Amino acid sequence: MQGTAVKKGNSPPRVFKSVITATFKEHMAYRSRMAVSVFAQPVYFLVNYFIWQAIFQIRDTVSGFTFGQMLSYFAVSSLVGFLNWDDSGNVLPMLVQTGGFITFQLRPVSHIYYSFFQKVGHRIMAFLIEMLPVVCFYIMLGINLVPAEPFWVLISLFLSFVLSFLINYTIGTFAFWFVRTDGVRRAVYLFTSICSGAFLPLNLFPYSFQKLLFYLPFQFIAYVPVRVFIGQYELAGITMSIPQIVFLQAVMVAVMFLVNRALWYMGIKHFTGVGA
Amino acid sequence: MTGENSETRTRNIRFSAAGVYIQGVKTALASRMAYRGDFIMSMLIMMIVEFGGPVITLIIYNNGASFPGWNQYEVLLLQGIFLLSRGIAFPFFMGIVWNTIGRVREGTFDLLLIKPRSILLMTVVTGFDSEDLGKLIGGILVFRYALKNLPVQPASHWVSFLILFVFSLILMFAFALFMAGLGIVWVGNYRIYDIFMSVIDFGLYPKSIFTKTFQSILTYIIPVSLLASYPASALLGDLDQSVFMALLSSVVFLLLGFMFYFKMVRNYTSAGG
Amino acid sequence: MIHVSELKKTFTTYERGGTFREALLSLFVRKRKTVDAVKGISFDIKEGELVGFLGPNGAGKSTTIKILTGILYPTSGTVDVMGFVPWKERKKYVRNIGAVFGQKSQLLWDIPPLDSFCLNQAIYRIPENEFRKTVNDMIEMLDLADLVKKPTRQLSLGERMKCEFIMAMLHKPKIVFLDEPTIGLDVIAKGKIRDFILEQNKRGTTFILTTHDLEDVEQLAKRVIVINHGEIVFDDSIEKLKHHLGEKRTVRITTRDRINMESREGIEVRRQISDYETEVLIDLSVVKLNEFIKKVNEESKTKDMSVEGPELEQIIKKLYTI
Repeated sequence: MQGTAVKKGNSPPRVFKSVITATFKEHMAYRSRMAVSVFAQPVYFLVNYFIWQAIFQIRDTVSGFTFGQMLSYFAVSSLVGFLNWDDSGNVLPMLVQTGGFITFQLRPVSHIYYSFFQKVGHRIMAFLIEMLPVVCFYIMLGINLVPAEPFWVLISLFLSFVLSFLINYTIGTFAFWFVRTDGVRRAVYLFTSICSGAFLPLNLFPYSFQKLLFYLPFQFIAYVPVRVFIGQYELAGITMSIPQIVFLQAVMVAVMFLVNRALWYMGIKHFTGVGA
Repeated sequence: MTGENSETRTRNIRFSAAGVYIQGVKTALASRMAYRGDFIMSMLIMMIVEFGGPVITLIIYNNGASFPGWNQYEVLLLQGIFLLSRGIAFPFFMGIVWNTIGRVREGTFDLLLIKPRSILLMTVVTGFDSEDLGKLIGGILVFRYALKNLPVQPASHWVSFLILFVFSLILMFAFALFMAGLGIVWVGNYRIYDIFMSVIDFGLYPKSIFTKTFQSILTYIIPVSLLASYPASALLGDLDQSVFMALLSSVVFLLLGFMFYFKMVRNYTSAGG
Repeated sequence: MIHVSELKKTFTTYERGGTFREALLSLFVRKRKTVDAVKGISFDIKEGELVGFLGPNGAGKSTTIKILTGILYPTSGTVDVMGFVPWKERKKYVRNIGAVFGQKSQLLWDIPPLDSFCLNQAIYRIPENEFRKTVNDMIEMLDLADLVKKPTRQLSLGERMKCEFIMAMLHKPKIVFLDEPTIGLDVIAKGKIRDFILEQNKRGTTFILTTHDLEDVEQLAKRVIVINHGEIVFDDSIEKLKHHLGEKRTVRITTRDRINMESREGIEVRRQISDYETEVLIDLSVVKLNEFIKKVNEESKTKDMSVEGPELEQIIKKLYTI
């Protein structure tokens, strides 16, 4: 009798729903912090606007992009950034460092799913406070935000959401081995951000670098979803159809998941062996 | 007699605001050196992050594009000046921002208030950030690289450049005052930096790429163009009259910064944090 | 030395609400609330006193201390410390005060305390020979030897607290504010710190102690001011405090035969530990202790007994809940 009652209350969907609600409420407290994006992002975008407007004064295309497409690139890329931003790469190391991770080892919850649904909770809040106002700003500026193929865009966005989580989470997993990782982590984040296409369309980089970027998972975080949005994919001279590149994205998600689980089990073994 | 006088003189220098500041720098450096390896790594990362703007510029020019009227080395010179300004501001006084935000959040801001010195001085003294010296190194490297690929400039250009560079630092200090003041009331919100970083992003590029309206804003209201665009133009011998208005605006901006900062301190001592 | 008259301090805070709906509404509109932290308190402290400030959290205790140290200014009332109005002449005033916070360190973690002392020397403009003499004297008094040259993180908590005291008193302040100075320390370290405070007090330094550690209060304070709900509910010597709520003693009795005591006038059974052991609180103004002992022995044959009190903890608890 007791056993079934307990089981019902702690069924996975219910637990994760409460994680989402709790995280959402917690982030109400940080609403003013999120609201900063509503100011900062438009400002950054304006700077970009002027840069490319000046550049396109004397040219019609840059590496295959028109002025309108370049603006769309940066606009959509920023929105994808809001969608994908998550802190799991910092939270896990902090838990390990402060010893708080033990509370997860003692509870019947798998940390990766817990972390993932934390991200869902945060991002719902971000959608309301960060994304919607910024989308309005872009529309006012006349940026083209109509996707070429909405169906594929949705799938691609979902995949990039999961993939960016997996990558950040995997970086955080290294906390099981290294105690102070702040400096290295910052460097890694910088590298992944550059390689994801968040700062500059990847096909503007030198050709040899583009070839490397094609094989790294980071392009699937920002560059690919934005390209799917624009409706045409090209990198390192390789062109693919939208369904093809989205399929590749899904494959990358599966690979990243397996990599993470492998690292996790090795990490836990090392961690519990060495001691909290 | 003379021995006593020189002793009093050294004491006056040692205990002056500058003396206390130097002592604070020594202390901060000693503290940071305790983790030497991590320090070097962090400084390197700081430096590499600074290269972002210049690298993007190089990539743009590599793709055959350009900013009208500026060749790539002139743009790099401008960005190098911007990085130099940051490289001096961030280690030497920008620290008042994170110092204030952190202390107000943890309740240790009071520890500075019970010292017999101006709270601004105490915050600057305990806010030296040695890691940010990496930004200075980055700035020096970019600046030198750009200079090497540009014709040598006459001394008169250098003089006007140096004067404008000082004002560039004054402007950075004004920004620091606004952010530190905000940090007193907007508890624990490190994203104050994001507001500032987005606004000064305008300073990374030649003034001429912006529309007339924006150029006015960037000269007369928040003179961000003073951070690099004007000094670069001065060094290249291409300064226009609007620079004087920019200088005036920056002084006004500084005064407003002081007023805002001390008003926020007064708020704090009224509300108890 | 310290004169406080009709001190009042009111804060305005904003409510956010606990339920989801309230939290969402608070995004747009916030409810204002005024809190009277200090409701008009007055007291005087003479030079050389060692006064303990007690009170539950949120009672107005820390607000009062902050006003006395000049980092907070009041809504109304007058404060005069050594001729200064603390918040008006802050920079001049704080030259004469020092502070030790048990939970907020003034030392830098990765470098020796001596380096932190040098920074303080510059801040307080202490001449070189005076500085050296004070540091050496205190190191000797606190038995620290060369520990001040080791990085702070390598020192034990007790050693760190001693260095905090040196830090606070380098500039020979006339008044020192102490906030939980012995928190987390072991018995021996606590004793050493207390001895140091008493010694410095004998030499003329006035101490204002805020703490929840009642042992600190008993060992150090000669006078206690209790603040609750923004008002002073007690201001007198510690002896009077002990006798404040009458003469009560806690008696613990172990007997050979069963003992089953019932609470009655003057006798309150705190807890019945077992059939042979019980703990009672006796009011000596009602019941005579020797008569009580005799009666218990006659009825149940005493095997062991202990008498304790008066209990400061009980008294303070009562004062906190008035």
